[in-house]
Amino acid sequence: MIAQALESPHLDPRRRGRDAGHAVVQRAGALKPAPFEYVRARSLDEALAALDGDGKILAGGQSLVPLLNMRLVRPARLVDINAVPGLDAVRARPDGGLDVGALVRHTDLLTSPLVQARAPLLAAAAAHVGHRAIRNRGTVGGSLAHADPAAELPAALLALDAGVVVAGRTGHRRLPLAELFVGLLTTSLAPDEILTGIEIPEARADGWGFAELARRAGDFAIAGVAAVVRGGPDRCTRARLVAFGADDRPVRLRAAEDAIVGRAASAELAARAAAEAPRDCRPSSDVHASAEYRAHLVRVLAEDAVRDAVGRLPA
Amino acid sequence: MNEVAVRLRVNGRDVRASVAARRSLADFLRDDLGLTGTHVGCEHGVCGACTVLVDGRTVRSCLLLAAQLEGAEVTTVEGLTPAGGLSVLQAAFQECHALQCGFCTAGMLATAHELLAENPAPTRADIRDAIAGNLCMCTGYVNIVRAIELAARRLRESTAGRP
Amino acid sequence: MSRWVGAPLPRKEDARLTTGRGLYLDDVARAGQLHAAMLRSPHAHARVVALDASAATRLPGVHAVLTGAEAAAASRPIRPLIPTPVPLPDWCLAVDRVRYAGEPVAAVAAVDRATAEDALERIRVEYEPLPPVVDPEAALRPDSPLLYSELGTNVLWHDVFAYGDVEGAFAGADGVLRERFAIQRYASTPLETFGAIAEYDAGLDAYTFWTNDQRPGLTLAILAESLGIPQARLRLVTPDVGGAFGNKRRPAYLLVCALLARRAGRPVKYLEDRLENLGALMHACNGVMDVELAYRADGTVVALRVRDVADEGKNLVSPTQHNLIKLGNIVNGYRIGAVAYEAYSVLTTKCPSGANRGIGKPFMCFAVERAMALLARRLAMDPAELRLRNYVRAEEMPYTTPPGAQYDSGDYPATLRRALERFDYAGWRAAQARARAEGRLLGIGIATSVEPAGTNLASYELITGRRAASGSAEAAMVRVEPDGRVRAALGDPASGQGYETVVAQIVADELGLTPADVDVERGFDSSTTPWLYLSGNYSNKFSVTDVGAVLGAARAVRDKLRRIAAHRLEVSVDDVELAEAEARVRGVPGRGLAIRELARTAYADVLGLPPGEPPGLEARHAHQNPLARPVGADRTVRSQLVFSNAAHCCLVEIDRRTGAVRLLRHVVVHDCGRELNPLIVEGMVHGSTVHGLGAALLEEFRYDESGQLLTATFMDYLKPTALDVPDIEVDRLEHPSPFTPLGAKGVGEGGSIPAPAAVANAVEDALAELGVTVRSLPLTPERVWRWLQNPEEAR
Repeated sequence: MIAQALESPHLDPRRRGRDAGHAVVQRAGALKPAPFEYVRARSLDEALAALDGDGKILAGGQSLVPLLNMRLVRPARLVDINAVPGLDAVRARPDGGLDVGALVRHTDLLTSPLVQARAPLLAAAAAHVGHRAIRNRGTVGGSLAHADPAAELPAALLALDAGVVVAGRTGHRRLPLAELFVGLLTTSLAPDEILTGIEIPEARADGWGFAELARRAGDFAIAGVAAVVRGGPDRCTRARLVAFGADDRPVRLRAAEDAIVGRAASAELAARAAAEAPRDCRPSSDVHASAEYRAHLVRVLAEDAVRDAVGRLPA
Repeated sequence: MNEVAVRLRVNGRDVRASVAARRSLADFLRDDLGLTGTHVGCEHGVCGACTVLVDGRTVRSCLLLAAQLEGAEVTTVEGLTPAGGLSVLQAAFQECHALQCGFCTAGMLATAHELLAENPAPTRADIRDAIAGNLCMCTGYVNIVRAIELAARRLRESTAGRP
Repeated sequence: MSRWVGAPLPRKEDARLTTGRGLYLDDVARAGQLHAAMLRSPHAHARVVALDASAATRLPGVHAVLTGAEAAAASRPIRPLIPTPVPLPDWCLAVDRVRYAGEPVAAVAAVDRATAEDALERIRVEYEPLPPVVDPEAALRPDSPLLYSELGTNVLWHDVFAYGDVEGAFAGADGVLRERFAIQRYASTPLETFGAIAEYDAGLDAYTFWTNDQRPGLTLAILAESLGIPQARLRLVTPDVGGAFGNKRRPAYLLVCALLARRAGRPVKYLEDRLENLGALMHACNGVMDVELAYRADGTVVALRVRDVADEGKNLVSPTQHNLIKLGNIVNGYRIGAVAYEAYSVLTTKCPSGANRGIGKPFMCFAVERAMALLARRLAMDPAELRLRNYVRAEEMPYTTPPGAQYDSGDYPATLRRALERFDYAGWRAAQARARAEGRLLGIGIATSVEPAGTNLASYELITGRRAASGSAEAAMVRVEPDGRVRAALGDPASGQGYETVVAQIVADELGLTPADVDVERGFDSSTTPWLYLSGNYSNKFSVTDVGAVLGAARAVRDKLRRIAAHRLEVSVDDVELAEAEARVRGVPGRGLAIRELARTAYADVLGLPPGEPPGLEARHAHQNPLARPVGADRTVRSQLVFSNAAHCCLVEIDRRTGAVRLLRHVVVHDCGRELNPLIVEGMVHGSTVHGLGAALLEEFRYDESGQLLTATFMDYLKPTALDVPDIEVDRLEHPSPFTPLGAKGVGEGGSIPAPAAVANAVEDALAELGVTVRSLPLTPERVWRWLQNPEEAR
């Protein structure tokens, strides 16, 4: 994860190095952040105004603060948005979907009855995020904005066809999640924009599945797959399969999806879809796993996720 | 600004301070307030030694800036200790030999406290899952699990019910 | 008759440690203290061409800066353990050359750590990179780049030892099993990092150090020599320590703090942060062992030949320990009559090695126990049966191994049998067969080992050719205070082992008190704690050497109490016994004197003392472990002195699809002789076993070809959590040592030694149908998956 962080253009260019380990060691001796200004925003407008120049949003801080401590990021200003009202609610949408405020904590996703009812995949994904203390502070919006390719929530939300609401100086805009992730640890957010909410369309009748492999429970996944399937046992009408840890961003496994749509929910469906899964991802190698092994995991986990999703289709 | 005024409550007492923006909650508690019971083990959110309770929830105090704690209620191991004695959890830790060097203990207690407040009858699997975010290098976890299980049972059996 | 020793007493120190009232190094605040940070080399190997710290000095909040050149001018080099043919000066900061990524080149003392780190960024260093040396076998080659060109080699030590008729045994054997094993770098990483606070008193020209260093005797010697100051003007204080496991030793850091403190005129505190700790403090040696077992057709092992290459990183201060310890324990629990051992202790441009928990024995045990497992496979024998056939037996004890180790007592076959019984070996073999039929991969692994305690420093003569230090000893003090309560102190600073409780138990038994009556000094303070050069926390010596010192001091006080009581009660000393805080006359109830009252005589009313008896009730005693001997003319030596033993049985299941290894059960039956406190002993077994499980499955310090550490944070260097390890099931046998004062043996390293081998044997067993051979660790999911895909590449 640190190695990947070092390749991101959003990080201090002085610290980027071709050799990840080399760059990390250059930091050995730094676990206190470089100096920065701190602003506690009390409103969205105040937060947006404070982002002028070299600023970074502080939400949960569970990804950002380690990077700050290691001096891998050195913003001039931190804009704390935890006190901005109205961003931490989970609300039912009239269309049957869900609005999730960007500041909703992972823990609250897990315990929200609305999430359980309308987007249980999200709760399943959140359960894999770190450990309790991390989940108590980490936010959905933060997870999306940080865009770690091995993170669970971006993949689950992509599989749910979610969109995000982004606030900027000139107002709000909406975009599909697929347009948010543009590269390794890189989103299409402008430096002076704030992600304020996530919109999840109606999915109550969809089957869902989630599978990941991590070295230890709570670690970033080596690879994982989130699956949402729509239809009935006779015919699947729609499929979203998203792999994480398998590319520089969460990636739709379209060939695998195509192997599902139009088919019946047979015992072999999951395996056939899984066989196509590695086609659409380009995993990389790091200290924890090779690209080859990750590709293999994508297949195995896709099979599990699809099997579970199909098993959850309404009878 | 690089210095931030913050008012919070720590272990039930009001605190007013002016902190450097970059000062972590862990360093603030330890060095500014003298509450050295909370320990620092990694400063990147993995080991859990620095775990405290903020507004009743466990957090990594190495990943929070002190400046963020405006209006918050912080409880450290000192605040989990009753006057003149040991809490049910602390007594169980001692009885079950759930600590050797003691460096992870404050974080473990905060985590156990949150677990038992939410789940008064955890299974061993529940306990292991709850403490999986707290590294211990000494005990191998066996006795920590036993201690939390014992404390849970005692709390259920007692009328006080506070971990 | 002991009332307290042997009782599973909850610990006294827990009252403060569970309530946040411990005093660890970073909790100590010395008035006016500054905080230090160290600038570290980004290169594994480089010349330091230029260093300009002037900008750092000007940063507000910075009070002192120290460069390598300044350190070399203000101190003497740190004495290496083994003399080298040419001097290789090693100061507390690198001067003109850096030899591992992370080696300190400069240091700053500032008002706080963050400012000190800001200052580091203002130090300009110009490096001329040199070729790194990363692989120990490549480091041996004549064309290898050298860490020290003046040495002409990267080999710090090479030697060959042979005991018994090795050639003859190999020639006459029915077969020879040859295999090569490798071990990765890992470390026990105590949760508290290492550090020190140094204060300089200009008036006394004296230094005080607060530190969590675990070898105060050694460190005080190095500090005195490097600072050019008599030991009498050094004080070293150790408070509560958050784990040590052999890691907490780096005299260079204390020297840096001392020199900064002198420059700044204020105390200077330095604690490693976690990145520094993982990258630059201490790794257990990685390495390669080529093992040859000569055997008879019935499975008897007749000879063992080992070539052992230990990668020491850039370790001049204490290299060769791993080789030496492995040599001393190489036959493990087996009766092997002939042994040859070739040792290479090799320098590479990586983090220095050190005496991490087990000091080489985990690798030794991995290699030997894996070889035994392979032999069992080859001979189609049950692996337990093969071991039972080869163990040294109880009736042969004490048994001297070819290299000279004396196994004092123990019943190795009984230990294994009990482990198999507790594990339900037969039942699980049957379950395994059923699982196999279902396509599941269950595996059972056995590993057994000896666990030595107490190191005899004379063994270093095998390396250095001379005897500078020898034996195993410790010092202790017991004092009845004027108010009648008892205080004790030990020259071995605790780091989680419960010394305050166990020492209180021992003293309480001797003086007829309860442990609550005995206050054991926390940690160590060189101005009040009795200590020797040999003092410290290392090689499991507490139960086998330290207790002798405590007993000696306690008994001296006991006898004095009895003499004073006998004099005042006008009875014979033989009729006086101590019980319930009194000296009583045996057989005459009601006749006695409270300890408090005897203390009044000893300290205040001194005319009441027996004639010739000096005032006071205090004894200091140093105990030497009588088992230590000098090196023999035949190069045999008791490098370690007292031997516990254990058997581990492990059950794993491998996920066919992902290669993930799940630990289902881990059973340990151990025998550490008399258990001084069974609660503490069992905790040691749990914890040390989990260290071994971490090494087996998760932990690896990986370097790339340029000498950069790739697993440099806790996100990438993976420690076992509560979800990664099962409940460790423990049972015990108890064969006291005939040679230790209380019959106790060592227990601190225990499980870390055989656990990796047990897991490896279990994984190999699970993959038995594929014929995979496990030769190295850790057993990551991907590695196992690759074996499942291509078993022929792992045969």
